[in-house]
Amino acid sequence: MDLNFTPEELSFREEIRAWVRDNLPKDISHKVHNALRLNKDDLQRWARILGKKGWHGWAWPKQFGGPGWNAVQRHLFEEECALAGAPRVVPFGPVMVAPVIMAFGTPEQHKRFLPGIMSGDVWWSQGYSEPGSGSDLASVKTRAERRGDKFIVNGQKTWTTLGQYGDWIFCLVRTSTEGKPQTGISFLLIDMKSPGITVRPIITLDGEHEVNEVFFDNVEVPADQLIGEENKGWTYAKYLLAHERTNIADVNRAKRELERLKRLAKAEGVYDDARFRDQIALLEVDIVALEMMVLRVLSAERGGKQALDVAALLKIRGSEIQQRYSELMMLAGGPYSLPFIHEAMEAGWQGDMAGGATLAPLASTYFNMRKTTIYGGSNEVQRNIVSQMTLGV
Amino acid sequence: MDFDFNDDQESLRDAVRRWVDKGYDFERRRAIVREGGFSQKAWGEIAELGLPGLVVPADAGGMGFGPIEAMVVMEELGRGLVLEPYAHTALVAAPLLAGRSAPAASAWLGKACAGEAIVVLALQERRARYRLEHVSTRAERDGSGQWVLTGTKGVVPAGAHAQAFIVPARVSGTDDDPAGIALFLVERGQGVETTAYALQDGSSAADLRLQRAGAQELVAAGEAFEALNLAVDRGIAALCAEAVGAMDRLFAITVDYLNTRKQFGVAIGTFQALRHRVADMKMQLELARSMSYFAALRLNDAPQVRRLALSQAKVQLGQSMRYVGQQAIQLHGGIGVTEEYSAGHYFKRLTCIEMSFGDTMHHLGEVASRMQDTAGVFA
Repeated sequence: MDLNFTPEELSFREEIRAWVRDNLPKDISHKVHNALRLNKDDLQRWARILGKKGWHGWAWPKQFGGPGWNAVQRHLFEEECALAGAPRVVPFGPVMVAPVIMAFGTPEQHKRFLPGIMSGDVWWSQGYSEPGSGSDLASVKTRAERRGDKFIVNGQKTWTTLGQYGDWIFCLVRTSTEGKPQTGISFLLIDMKSPGITVRPIITLDGEHEVNEVFFDNVEVPADQLIGEENKGWTYAKYLLAHERTNIADVNRAKRELERLKRLAKAEGVYDDARFRDQIALLEVDIVALEMMVLRVLSAERGGKQALDVAALLKIRGSEIQQRYSELMMLAGGPYSLPFIHEAMEAGWQGDMAGGATLAPLASTYFNMRKTTIYGGSNEVQRNIVSQMTLGV
Repeated sequence: MDFDFNDDQESLRDAVRRWVDKGYDFERRRAIVREGGFSQKAWGEIAELGLPGLVVPADAGGMGFGPIEAMVVMEELGRGLVLEPYAHTALVAAPLLAGRSAPAASAWLGKACAGEAIVVLALQERRARYRLEHVSTRAERDGSGQWVLTGTKGVVPAGAHAQAFIVPARVSGTDDDPAGIALFLVERGQGVETTAYALQDGSSAADLRLQRAGAQELVAAGEAFEALNLAVDRGIAALCAEAVGAMDRLFAITVDYLNTRKQFGVAIGTFQALRHRVADMKMQLELARSMSYFAALRLNDAPQVRRLALSQAKVQLGQSMRYVGQQAIQLHGGIGVTEEYSAGHYFKRLTCIEMSFGDTMHHLGEVASRMQDTAGVFA
């Protein structure tokens, strides 16, 4: 047992740190450090900077053009990016669909799709949830009918994060209604410029346009955009979700945001209030404990051992912590968190408000963060998974 | 960064687990509780395993192991709810005796390592709560220049069975002045009186009354307060590991029960309200295990780093112990509150651990006052 990183890991971290310092645009990190609105250009600029270095797919193996890092190196990379104020990489391309394409796609599909994901040029969206399929993903109803060398897709996806920017979307579609719901699902890659696709915004509690509805009206999808076998999509979907959940703990971002909470609390004079400070201290303990749990998982992964059964707990804890720091930041701002000013989320806003630019976005972030215990399999579904593993039934 | 146990640690774990499973079952434990919560015979068996000298340097007669081995042993003792004061003697008192120049220190250390004597830290004072700097027991020199101690310490672990005590006492200053505290070695004898009682977990403890009791200075004022803090931090790490072992076992007992007990014609483990409780208990258990590792891994670090880490660990463990303990009882229903069933005894032990070496609120205060601008494991 050893808590220290190896000298090789430490010099790896130094290398990453120096690169991020030299390459992360300051206007972008300013927005991240202050929870200001990131636009498409911010996100894609950073994706392309990473892509040029070959790091947009930082978890990819070498054979697909990735750096081939192990679990600890990937963690250190994510940590350096998070602490420096890099935007969270939009995961749908490099983190979610790419591993599925690698594992189950054809060599032609590898050549066709992976380079655009790595470079950051092609923006991917996720087409999983539907109005009737939230946590119960296997109940998807969007239909794909095979006609010759095409599928004809009809239906609706929802909660499509940043789908307004999407070039491509990967979708779970129903290709058969026979047997169990899980057996009739297929995994399709769809060009979002295809005729028949309509994207409509959903405005969330924070007033922001982050998620969308996507409608499919007789959309023609060439059959060579099917991943793997028809009706085997559920297997691929589960593979993808396994990748999503370890990433979702986001402990590095939590560390950065806890530091910000302390700065805010000091500036607002509540850091010396024992009642408030105890809440920060409790959150600090929560974050250290989560980080230790993450490190345990990484250590097991790097050693090539069977994944620890704590991995499923990371999503629950990580999301609760994200909500808690956003809540405490809002409370630190006090009544000056309350003004609801859309423009305050923009960098450089100079509104004539007593609370100023620092406090105005806090409540919006708090409201936005309510999503974290709902998405990626609600925390209640996660508890079902944990209890099933524990009880064995 | 590596969380694997090496082969030596695994065989140490196996050895302790074998003894606990075969030699310390629930019935034997109940018998020991009835006899006052300490068995000389069981203590002898622990000594036969070579455990009392576990973390004492080899040149001082011990095995020279460190915090990870201590953690491994404590997890296993916790699993079996072992009553004998292993942590207090072997992991708190013995390292305090090692390398001291007091004439009697090495003799007591030798006896402690051999399992021939029980030596414990007598720490608690009535108004101190968990503040280590609050010491009103006085140390003064008698006519011949020998130290004599006067004062009362409470809830001393295995106090009635200890042959010697390590006692923080005040040589100068007011009741809360850390610089005026020295550590003394007090042997049983004139002016030393113990009054035994059982604790809620069935273990034996005592009040220790010192009336001009003869003492040898173990650590002089100035250095003593950090030595005391380190000893307590070792105790915290040990109890964290013990708690993980106890929670591990209690959780397994509870899961078994949920899969066996039937109501409304089905196993109660099929009810989602209870299943989610299981998931939450598992969460608290794994957070606790993670922080017990953290405590052990930070125990040899610089005092400032160590102190913050150990308080962070105790805060997590405190929350986890209360949640896992209370919910284990709730999920068992009526059987959980009976004396004859094991679950309640785990709960009682976990509760005692929370209130030893500083409770959750005390250590939350420590964390709050020691927080840095940075955050996380490597802050």
